Parts: sequence; C-alpha cells; structure tokens
Amino acid sequence: MIQVTHLKKTYSNGLEVLRDVNATIQKGEVISIIGPSGTGKSTFLRCLNLLERPSGGSIVVDGQDLMSSKTNVPHLRQKMGMVFQNFNLFNHMSIMDNLCIGPVKLLGKSRKEAEQRAIELLEMVGLAEKAKAMPSQLSGGQKQRIAIARCLSMEPEIILFDEPTSALDPTMVSEVLGVIRSLAQQGMTMVIVTHEMRFARDVSTRIFYMDQGIVYEEGTPEEIFEHPQKERTRVFINRIRDYCYSIHSPKYDLYQLQAGMMQFCQRYFLSQPVQFRVQLLTEEVLQLVPLDKGEVDLALRYSEKNETVSLELLMPVGIVSVLKDKSRQPDELSMSIVEGLCSAMTEVVEDYPEGPRVRVQFELAKI
Amino acid sequence: MKGITKPFVCLLLCMLAACGAKQEAEQLPVYRTLDDLNGRKVAALTGCFQEAIIEKEYPEVEVLRIDNAADVVQALATKRCEAVVLDDYIFLYHSQTVKGLDYLEKPLVTATMGFCFGKNKNVELRLKFNDFLAKIKADGTYDEIYDRWMYHANEAEMPDIPLPQDAEPIRIATCSTSPPLDFIRNGKLVGFDIELATRFAQYVGRPIEWSDMNFASVIPALISGKHDMIVAAVNITPARAEAIDFSDPYFECGSLIGIRAENSAKQAAETNVGGKGILQGVKDSFYLNVIEEDRYLMIWNGLKLTALISLLAALLGTLLGAIVCWMRMSRHASLRSVASLYISVMRGTPVLVLLMLMFYVVFAGTTIDAVTVSIITFGMNFAAYVSEMFRSSIESVDRGQAEAGVALGFTPVQTFFHIVMPQAFKQVLPVYKGELISLIKMTSIVGYIAVQDLTKVSDIIRSRTFDAFFPLLMVALLYFILAWIFASVLDFIGKKAR
Repeated sequence: MIQVTHLKKTYSNGLEVLRDVNATIQKGEVISIIGPSGTGKSTFLRCLNLLERPSGGSIVVDGQDLMSSKTNVPHLRQKMGMVFQNFNLFNHMSIMDNLCIGPVKLLGKSRKEAEQRAIELLEMVGLAEKAKAMPSQLSGGQKQRIAIARCLSMEPEIILFDEPTSALDPTMVSEVLGVIRSLAQQGMTMVIVTHEMRFARDVSTRIFYMDQGIVYEEGTPEEIFEHPQKERTRVFINRIRDYCYSIHSPKYDLYQLQAGMMQFCQRYFLSQPVQFRVQLLTEEVLQLVPLDKGEVDLALRYSEKNETVSLELLMPVGIVSVLKDKSRQPDELSMSIVEGLCSAMTEVVEDYPEGPRVRVQFELAKI
Repeated sequence: MKGITKPFVCLLLCMLAACGAKQEAEQLPVYRTLDDLNGRKVAALTGCFQEAIIEKEYPEVEVLRIDNAADVVQALATKRCEAVVLDDYIFLYHSQTVKGLDYLEKPLVTATMGFCFGKNKNVELRLKFNDFLAKIKADGTYDEIYDRWMYHANEAEMPDIPLPQDAEPIRIATCSTSPPLDFIRNGKLVGFDIELATRFAQYVGRPIEWSDMNFASVIPALISGKHDMIVAAVNITPARAEAIDFSDPYFECGSLIGIRAENSAKQAAETNVGGKGILQGVKDSFYLNVIEEDRYLMIWNGLKLTALISLLAALLGTLLGAIVCWMRMSRHASLRSVASLYISVMRGTPVLVLLMLMFYVVFAGTTIDAVTVSIITFGMNFAAYVSEMFRSSIESVDRGQAEAGVALGFTPVQTFFHIVMPQAFKQVLPVYKGELISLIKMTSIVGYIAVQDLTKVSDIIRSRTFDAFFPLLMVALLYFILAWIFASVLDFIGKKAR
C-alpha cells in the first residue's frame, strides 16, 4: 500500500532528520514506530502525507508517486487520515460540525448523511452525547477521541497517529488507546508513533525501531521486544524507568511521595493491583526504616522489557540492617507484609565518595 | 445611548450658561491706529494679501491665520484676538450680524479682485470675460448686481439665469465662505461673484460645474488643471499673478482693521448680551442653524456623503487590505517587501497630505470627482492599517488548525477559507471596529478637496449664522451617531457569522 524508498529530509537549517528511510506498509497492518526522541519518527510520519516535503527519495501510495507534480495530493490525503499530538480540532465548530465538514465539503455527502455517520462514529468512540459541544468544553482524552472520529468520517484507508497520547494526562491515556485498540481489531491499517511501549507491543503487527535517521531495526513485537538483534535497540528496549524521592526527615511529605508514585505507575500502565501493592510496599518499608538518622533516597524502578517493578532504598550505614537483623525489628507485622509482597530482597553496602551507604532492594512479586 | 444622554445634556447646559455669563468689566485699552496693536494678536485670512502687508510693515503684530472670514470675525468677537484685518465689504457684511464690533477709520490699502485662470491656459475664456465685464459695466447690469449683493445681501434673491445643459461645462472652483461675494443660502451657492460668473456662463453659452473648496485650496486646484477658473473673491497680487492669470479687476475693495467696540475710541459700546433663558437660547440656535433656509437638507446631504465615503472607503480598504495582507504573508520576498513598503508609507504619511496629493497631483489631469478621490485615498489608508490586523489575527490561529485541515484533504486555499479565516475573523472584529470608527471621523478632512461633507457643512453654516457652538456640537453628535450605527452593524454581522 505504501512503499517508501531512500527517504531523506533535511531542514533548511541543515539539520538532517531522515537519512535513508526504507519501509513498506501493507494493507491491514498496524505499525508502531518507536525510538528515542529526535530520531525523526514524527517527521517520517508527516512525510507520508506530505505535511513535510521530503528532500529526497520516493513515497509511492497505491501506485501513485507522492512527489510527482501530477499527483492530486489533497485527494490522496482524504484516504489517509491523521491524528495529531495536539488534537487540532477545529475550535470554531461544534463537534458535529468537526465531523461533518470533511464529508460534506470534500466527499460531497449530504448534510443529513454526514450527520448520520457522525453519530455512528461518536457512538463508537463513546462521545455521542457531546455532539453539540464545542471543542473547548472537552477534556484532552475526549478531544483526541473526537479527532479519531473526525479522521474516520472521511472513510480513510489508513490512519497515521502522531504521538496521540503524548499531550494527555496519564489518567486519560487509556481511553484513547482503547479506541485505537478497537480500530486495530477491526482491521484498520494504522501507523502509530508512540512512546507507550506496552501498547505498541500489544497492538502492533510490526514495530519499526527508528534511530539515527533510519529504520534501525524492524520486526514483529516479539522480535523487537524479546530478541532485539542490534545493540542500540537492545539498550532502548531494556532501559529502566525510575522515580526518585529523597527523604530528609521523619516529617517528609507522604502525600507528595504517593502522588508521584501513582503518576509514575499510570504513565507506564501498571495495573490497579500493581499500583496498590507499590503503595503498600512503600508504606510498610518506610515503617521499617528509622528516618531520623540521615537522608534516605527512595527509588521506584520499572523495567519496560521485563515488566518488573522494584523499590530501592539507599541509606546511611549507621542504620541497623533491615533484612538481616530480624530480632530488632520494631514491627513484625510490617516485615511479614513486605515479605509477602516481594519476590526477592537484597541488601548490599556500597562505597560512595562521601562514604559507604546501604542499598536495599525489594522486587515486587508478579501477580 | 440612554446612559450617556443625561451627562451630555448637563454639559451642554453648563457650556451655554458659561457663554451667556457677563464678562467682568475692566480697564480696556483704546486702539486708534495699527501702531496701537503692536505686540497684540491680529487675525487675518490665511493667504490673504493683508497678511503679507502686516507682517512686513508691522513686524511686532502677532498674526493669527484663520481659514474663513466668519471664523476671523468670531475670533474677534470671542476675544481670541484684539483686531482683525479683512476686506471692507466682508467686515461690514459680518458686522451687520455680529454686534459690538467697530473698525479703525484709516483703511489699510485698497485692493482689486479678479477671476483667475490657469497661467497661459484658457486665454480665450479670460478675454471673453474681460469683454463681458466691459459690456455689463456699460449697460448697467453690473451696478444692478452690485446693489443687490452689497446693500441687500440678507434679503437678496439670485435671479433665474438659465444655462444650456448640453455644452461643455466651465469647471469653476469657489469658496463659499466669503459672503456677500460667495456663500450658501437655502443650500444653493449665491452672491455677487456667483451671479457674475453665472451671467458670464450664459454669455458664453456653457453650463457651470461648481467645486466648493477651502480658500487655501482654490489656487492649487486651478494650477493642477482640475478647474478652468476661480471665482472666489481672490485679490490680485503680483505674487499670485506669477502663478496664475487674472481677469480685469471686477471688484474693488479696501481693507479694514476691525476691533471690538469696547476698544474703540468712539466708545459706541452697544453690546449684545441678551437675557434669554437657556432653553429659549437652544431653541433659537436650533432654528437658526437647522431650520432656517432649510439647512437641515444641507446637513442631511453632508451626513449622507460622510456615510457614503466612510462605507465605500471601508469596503475598498478591506478588500485592498486583504490583498496587501496576502502579499505580506506570501512566500515571495519581493511581494512581501512591496507590501511592507506600502504599509509603512501609508502609515507614515498624514492622511490629509495624502488626500491633497491624490487630488492635486495623482488625479489632477483626470475627470475623477473629489468624492471618488476621497474614497480611494481613505481606502488606501484604511487598507494599510487593516492588513496588519488581518495578518496578526491570521497568525494568531494555531498552525495545527491549518495542518489538520490539509491533512483532512482540503487544499491550502479551502483550508484558509473553511478553517483559518472564520477563526481569524472572530479575532479581528473588535480591532477592526475601532479602526472603522476612526475612519469615519478621519473623513472630516474631505472639505479640503471641495467635498461638502458633514464637517464642511458645519463650516458653511457657521459662516452664515456666526454661531460656533451649536453647529459644532450638532456635528459632533451626528458623527457619534454615525459611528454608533456602523459599529452596531458590524456587531450584528459578527453575531450572524457565529
């Protein structure tokens, strides 16, 4: 359906974003493009419908060369929907008008036909009751779902998603991903630039890992996430996300700590039970550690590849060992809860420039 | 409207009361000769020959230059100057109406007046006029005209002088603010000069196309070729004779130094402070300035003209502004710089200067009338301002909106009209409204090129009724109402569009 060969894009300031991109997209595929920031993922996507003009190479869509002056680009774009990071709903129109303007003005549908289809689409994205609302009255997640519906109103053959959840609050990400997931199930051809690794893994038929201006490695989700062949892919896939918090005294802000942890969990789509266990583990561990003996650094770590969560504490050596010296535990109950939550616990002393510190690690058991 | 009416009326009454208040008596100087006026303010008509004489011979006198004779007399009556220098017939005419004036016995100089023709142009017409003048002086017609306008100007009627309509008209520039030679009564040009010129037109068998303009503009208008002759009580001076050709003198006059009676050696002080009530005063003013001589017709026509010029200039300017805006935002550097240059030139030039340039230079050789020139000039000026408003409002629409439109399959042009423009329109409306209102007020200068708009009408009325206060206030109110109507229409369009 789309054949990209030797695609190049250099900006007028000399920045070379795409060096040599080659890719083929077949009908019915769901392709996720992942990779570090600034490697041209969005630029590549925007080249596909000529929002950015490539500096070289060719893009052939259904046998038509996109760069040829004979090609009717606006017409091709009608079959190629795009969902933006910032939604870009038409601010001066109601939701209904947003969904009808394309079909009426471009596809020549009657207003009535267009409205009928719009209502179907609104029902599909779960926002039928918002038909009369203005875009400014909607939340980010709702706006993005409307944007997807607007795309669908043009009956496209493929939809390009440009980081559809990056501008959203963590709480609203899942509603948008839910809609995209259901589109995938219906067999819609899609290309999705995303940072949501787990989503990419679940929904895609193929993954493009982009780095250094090229499609560095491509394969099925399993190939890319389980057995990446190349070094940079491996580093990217195995990178660990973390959330750190320093406790300076027993009067630390527990609510701030908890809120930060919850936000972290939501960003990486840890399930509700996992979130609950993280919260419980943190509370109980902090019961075991005396906080008046010096600074305690706390880190919540998440490995996207292994999907493992662990809690780490870095403490002054003066504190009596948490794990080994069980007899001195002031709270037997806390200890048993912690043991119940964790699959592994380690404790090591490490040397730092300012002196040795104890690192204690609790690995959360998988549910 | 309702909220502001009350304070407005209060203000009006206070001002009327202040006008009627008696001046405090004080030791007043007595003027006997021009020498007594050294170091004092003396008013004269802008560009009149007496002005030059005073400047040369009495350098210590401070000359106040005013554009029309009625205002010169008013300046004296309202104590903004100590004396005035005017042609004797004009001063005597005005002092019939404005009480409490006197003049110094010794006239300054005598002068003659002539009709003016372009230098070495229309020689034939000029010679014909000289023949005509000699003829009517011989057969007594001249004396008849003289008697009518010099001694009975207030009740004189213009005789009916039929002119052929099919011949090429003589284009005559005049200035209707110098009664009894040239003035407007019952909405028609009348006076000594006017009758003389009309009779002349009958003599040569051609109709007349009158242009009523400021005195300061008549000579430039003639030189630019817009007119064939000037009939506007122009004194014959050597300086003028270098630029234009004069006919034989058709009128002789002296000059007078006018003063207030209270400063007169004759002490024939007879002041005109009436004990009228305020309401009666307003009523009288209204009658005098609006009803008498059907002046409301003239006011109505002036109002229509102001509205017409404002409306068409706004339409033209909006269209032109859109084009300039498009050029300014173009990808081509050359179009962009042309647009920038246009905007900075238009914004950097006083619109009055631009108006005069357009009328006397750019369109000098054409037959385009002054109203059209005004519309074009104000349209051009308006375009420069609104184009920048358009640009900033278009730029204020998020780029993502246009991208979304294009991505949906609209062409860039469709995207602009369906997506960007409606959003920019909402942004630009409030500032556009302000600019439109300022355009309406700006058109008040079209009198300079002989368009009889609302402001010019008030000048004409003031020159006849010697009431500065009422006509000006009335015109201010009419401008306010006009601006309010325009703004309301725009608000209505804005609401409709939403």
